[in-house]
Amino acid sequence: MTWETVIGLEVHVQLATRTKMFCPCPTTYGEQPNTAVCPVCLGLPGALPVPNAEAVRLGTLGALAFGCTIHPVSVFARKNYFYPDLPKGYQISQFDKPLATGGTLSFESPERGPLTVGITRLHLEEDAGKSLHDRVPGQTAVDLNRAGTPLAEIVGEPDLRSPGEARAYLVALRQLLVYAGVSECSMEEGSLRVDANLSIRRPGDPLGTKTEVKNMNSFANVERALEAERLRQMALVEGGGRVTQVTLTFNAATGEVKPLRTKEDSHDYRYFPDPDLAPLVLDDAWLADRVAELPELPAARRTRFETTLGLPGYDVGVLTAEPAIADYFEAIVAEGTDPKVAANWVMGEGLASFSAAGAFAVPPGRVARLAAMVADGELSLQAAKRVYAELAAADDDPRLIAERLGVIQVRDEGALAGWVEAVIVEHPDEVRRFREGEAKLIGFFVGQVMKRSGGQADPKAIQPLLRARLTA
Amino acid sequence: MTIDRGTVQHMARLAELAVTDADADALADQLDRIVRLVEQLTEVDGDAPSTDSAGVVVGPSRTPLREDVVAPIAMAHGPAEFAPAMQDGLFLVPRLGGMTDS
Amino acid sequence: MSAAALAAETATRLAAADARGLNAVLAWSEPLLKQQAALLDAAPAGPLSGMAVALKDNIVTTDQPTTCGSRLLEGYVSPFEATVVSRLRAAGGLVAGKTNLDEFAMGSSTEHSAYGRVLHPHHPELVPGGSSGGSAAIVAAGAVRAALGSETGGSVRQPAAFCGVVGIKPTYGRVSRFGLVAFGSSLDCISPFGATVADAAALLAAISGPDPRDATTLDLEPIRVPLPRADLRGMVIGVPQEYFPADLHSGVRAACDRAMSRLRDLGAELREVSLPHTRYAVPAYYVVNPAEAAANLARFDGVRYGQRRIGPEGDIRALYRATRGQGFGREVQRRILVGTFVLSAGYAEQYYHRAQAVRRRIIADFDAVFASGVDLLFTPTTPTPAFRAGEKTADPVTMYLADVFVCPASLAGIPAMSLPIGRDDGLPLGGQLMARSTDESTMISVAAALESVIDATAEVRA
Repeated sequence: MTWETVIGLEVHVQLATRTKMFCPCPTTYGEQPNTAVCPVCLGLPGALPVPNAEAVRLGTLGALAFGCTIHPVSVFARKNYFYPDLPKGYQISQFDKPLATGGTLSFESPERGPLTVGITRLHLEEDAGKSLHDRVPGQTAVDLNRAGTPLAEIVGEPDLRSPGEARAYLVALRQLLVYAGVSECSMEEGSLRVDANLSIRRPGDPLGTKTEVKNMNSFANVERALEAERLRQMALVEGGGRVTQVTLTFNAATGEVKPLRTKEDSHDYRYFPDPDLAPLVLDDAWLADRVAELPELPAARRTRFETTLGLPGYDVGVLTAEPAIADYFEAIVAEGTDPKVAANWVMGEGLASFSAAGAFAVPPGRVARLAAMVADGELSLQAAKRVYAELAAADDDPRLIAERLGVIQVRDEGALAGWVEAVIVEHPDEVRRFREGEAKLIGFFVGQVMKRSGGQADPKAIQPLLRARLTA
Repeated sequence: MTIDRGTVQHMARLAELAVTDADADALADQLDRIVRLVEQLTEVDGDAPSTDSAGVVVGPSRTPLREDVVAPIAMAHGPAEFAPAMQDGLFLVPRLGGMTDS
Repeated sequence: MSAAALAAETATRLAAADARGLNAVLAWSEPLLKQQAALLDAAPAGPLSGMAVALKDNIVTTDQPTTCGSRLLEGYVSPFEATVVSRLRAAGGLVAGKTNLDEFAMGSSTEHSAYGRVLHPHHPELVPGGSSGGSAAIVAAGAVRAALGSETGGSVRQPAAFCGVVGIKPTYGRVSRFGLVAFGSSLDCISPFGATVADAAALLAAISGPDPRDATTLDLEPIRVPLPRADLRGMVIGVPQEYFPADLHSGVRAACDRAMSRLRDLGAELREVSLPHTRYAVPAYYVVNPAEAAANLARFDGVRYGQRRIGPEGDIRALYRATRGQGFGREVQRRILVGTFVLSAGYAEQYYHRAQAVRRRIIADFDAVFASGVDLLFTPTTPTPAFRAGEKTADPVTMYLADVFVCPASLAGIPAMSLPIGRDDGLPLGGQLMARSTDESTMISVAAALESVIDATAEVRA
């Protein structure tokens, strides 16, 4: 009999603000410890929180991207627990009155094809600081630079049925939030974190007891960890055991999940509305502005690239993977380049530099001018690629580089006629043989003209001249 | 609801307060009196527990928001001046012991 | 008078209060007074020029420690200054020193300070009230003209009544809490004491107004000191029957009767009204306040500041438990435990949420009365005059009930004040005025009018 796996993910993303959620300290990464701090994020006596408008705006955009219902009144609540990197002894979060509820996320499941799953809620909260366990022997060191960083927590419905599906969900979620400009969603820099709930059941049965898996630092590791946990639960139950509600941590080195704490130790968070903060009230007009400013999302962009620009499905997938790629592509098209030609430039030379450096080396206008020179026959595609390589390094116009490299194709009839005349004069034997019917020698003559021109002659323009002269 | 030593010890664990058994008995007696005072509130609405979980707002009815501008609140002195234990700019605390969830 | 002269005079008076063993001031220094005076004398005069102001030691300052009357914060110097302190300095005020209080403002007698109890300024065997007992006592002792205290559930009005000075609690949100060590955040109001209504009102005016650092401040212009009233004709003053129970202390009743007759003489109409949920204010307060306090005091964990203690197990939990178990006094521990209990799983609906519902009814009571054409309410501030030290420390509930008349305005967030209205057996008695939200002006002007026609030092039962 088969097992069905049931997975729900809780994703925390860092909102792309300049300052923290409740204080005007910068949100930084990699600063000296405890330097990006103030009385508020240090939890000093007498300090008070003041919410960041931009965090509210970005959280709302994120919620709109999932098609959530935005609640015009939501409430910040205190979640009470002790931990050395939690300065106030409570985290300001949202509890029973969150910013948004009831959204969806659509993506391609590796097993089930196109799939739409539920987003339970999106709420705003502040991050804790960092506890470092390896700096000082026998002690824990606390850095509060990160404390107070604005987060959106996105809780998904338990609609996922495999570790691979969980990974595809995360890829789509990340893509959506990056498109909406909500978050950079970098797991390496900690701006996206995933906690997973997983249970198994026989198909048709009610939900089984779930466990929570933490400490997964990449999408690939989410898939690995969930696969390990799925197998662990199956082996446990098939061996006559029962799943107990535990939190597990994933060890990427060993590929194993290990229990962290049992239900007995779990917290009683004693949530209550934060009396330092009145309700967060969003006006209709403000919300309408947010709807209006929501950028085009991945699905809409994919459809447009396919239908309006007529690009093949593979190209659409590559070009829409990230908004930066799609924007770059569209900027080249906007300069008049044929969409398929632009797609080829972006997916070939462009992406190579984007993947390596995180940015496109050549501004779109120059790519467009380069493509135009190819279209006009001034450059061969091969020569254009040489010019492109130079463009990435030098801050110059493509034409100047092409001239410098001497790769602009000569189509001037006078110049071409001169080279043709010279070649005919130098090769009387071949001329005779051609005239006697050895038609393939035309290739020889073209080659000779190219050689004589130093490669600058436009091969397409040479043939008619040669034929005219040889048959004259 | 009668507050006993067990309740006091449970609350003390949640609140991270060291309370000895002897203190717990005295506190249980005092807390019990306080809870009985508080239970007069049932006279207002009977025994039905309140389901309204919103806070009571006595100040502004909606929270103001701050512009996203970096302007750290000035501090006359840094954490090193008040930290009980600090090394290389980091607050130091003993090992986490039972608190292993990180 | 120059600030330098004021500083010298203040130093002399503070030294005299110390010599009497009042224990009202925890920190003050003559060099610091002189240093401030030099700056003040170099700056243009302001509305508080010539006024020395003592600060309750739960208001943070960078030049003196802020202990909150707790061992846990012994020696703690804040790296930032409270908004109110910056404002009173800018207005020309001289900060006299930091005053003793019930630990973290939890108490009604200033007996719960880790640094010893504050004596009543006129009767050493009595308490000065609390939790702002040090501020009340030092004003009553004549060492300063005004002081800042903090109100959570009457902690300024009650000691003002006990000590025979004026105490004004503004509307919640009128004065920034930035830099006030939080106790009950939905209740806390920094509130001035003054030797006179005018002094307290001037100090309140100087510190009031919105603050971008406190998201709960009201977006209203600062309070202005109202012009004096010649009479109170056209004014309707409600007298809620629930504040005059049959067993009310007879001296308190006599003082109130006399004050009400003076208000009538001034032309006010006194009208009996009802605030039916008054008796539930103390029970509701002792749920809401501890719940907020338990969370507010979680930050005192010995990790970033404060006096750290490490228990025998040597791990982080032992650090928390020892730091908090030994650093907090008994009343603070009680409130934290109660606050934890009323929010804990299985009890939050029954206690916390029910108390919130009752708090709404108390607010509705006031709304209804003020909507019925009543301008102000007059009541006694306290059910009795100052009590003896030690009298109520054994049973916390007895102590809590001393705040029965001051709690309702705190829960409702409305302005309320106490002014001296006479003495009984030499003990000062206070009358309370309560006003509709943000109408401090009417309340202060009526108080000033009453003050001008009443001999507050006279015995009310001749």
